[in-house]
Amino acid sequence: MNLNPLGTKEETKMNRGLISGLVLLVIGIICGLMLALVNYFTAGRITEEENKIKYAVLEEFYTLSEYEISETQGEGSFSTIYFLKEKGTDNVEAVIYTVSAKGYSSTTDVEMLIAINSDMSVEGYKVTTHQESSGFGADIVDNNFGVDEIDDLSNFQAVSGVTVTSNAIKTCFTLVSQRVISDLGGGSGE
Amino acid sequence: MNKKENLLKGFIKENPLFVSLLGMCPSLAVTTSLENAIGMTLGVFFVLVLSNLIISLIMSNEKLAKMVKPVRIPVYIVVIATLVTIVEMLMHAFLIDLYLSLGVFIPLIVVNCIILGRAEAFASENKPLDSVIDGVGMALGYGLAIMLISIFREFLGKGTLTIWGDLQLDLNFIFEFLKIEPISMFTQPVGAFLSFGLILATITMIANNRKLKMAKEVSK
Repeated sequence: MNLNPLGTKEETKMNRGLISGLVLLVIGIICGLMLALVNYFTAGRITEEENKIKYAVLEEFYTLSEYEISETQGEGSFSTIYFLKEKGTDNVEAVIYTVSAKGYSSTTDVEMLIAINSDMSVEGYKVTTHQESSGFGADIVDNNFGVDEIDDLSNFQAVSGVTVTSNAIKTCFTLVSQRVISDLGGGSGE
Repeated sequence: MNKKENLLKGFIKENPLFVSLLGMCPSLAVTTSLENAIGMTLGVFFVLVLSNLIISLIMSNEKLAKMVKPVRIPVYIVVIATLVTIVEMLMHAFLIDLYLSLGVFIPLIVVNCIILGRAEAFASENKPLDSVIDGVGMALGYGLAIMLISIFREFLGKGTLTIWGDLQLDLNFIFEFLKIEPISMFTQPVGAFLSFGLILATITMIANNRKLKMAKEVSK
């Protein structure tokens, strides 16, 4: 059997292609290792910085450096719920709810943060997202709804002329009041 | 071409943005403030200089170059993408504000034509040192170009010049003196195209005038 010259040529060509591919693979692996190394050094700091931004909105209510923060995803109308614990212990000092309810806009719900202290007093609340009609509806962002104790919503002051939006806010407070006792660990309640 | 010419050609004669018209997309998008332009320059500088160095190191080794030649474009992209990812991680960790304001345009440095262009046109055929000098010159030329656009846009659009963080020059008194408001259109995309067009036209006009003068002198 004689080898025809074309065959050998094809063969070397194939080998060359294979070698090139291997070189590319080696370079790829080296690059991957480099990335892993850089990632090893920066990952911690990146999470730290991300958390700083994520929790920046909570700074309005509490000085976060004094607490240990943990978060869970609530179901239904609740999205993220932040638990602020005393450093080094399991005592929940405060709970901050991200809760939403349907307002006047059909596409965007009113979303607000409600911060509750362990003694049921309301530390603060803030509407973070809404698309209510501008003018009256937008007034809700900084409005004082007169809620100081989460277990007593009788003093709730609606904004006159903005019934639907006010109701959405009231729904948010009601939802929080329904679950806050169990979140604050029930144990302190007895 | 000596080393000085090699360094300086990126500034005016072969400016990647105004002469070669490469990498325009991120340049128009991030130039809303001087700070962004400076940040982008830092990123491009790091990536361009190192990619030029690495690629020229690979290609100046004859044996390696022969093996890499058929797959050189993928190799370039792998090297560039790695460098860009490193820049992205570092910026995310240490300059988070800049990272957030540059957004998607940091990873897009990978497909910035300037970097691949220099790798293919210069670094693959020249010595490592020359390639580094070329990279420095080109990156600085690019940086000066986008800073020029951003100064133009930020001043006309907002009346300020943000150099870094809180370090900001407030030039609104000029607008007050002229009794007009800053033209906020210049901070929007349409302003980017307008500014770029105006600057490009001015530069072309100057270049044409010089050519005409030279031609006249020759014909005398």
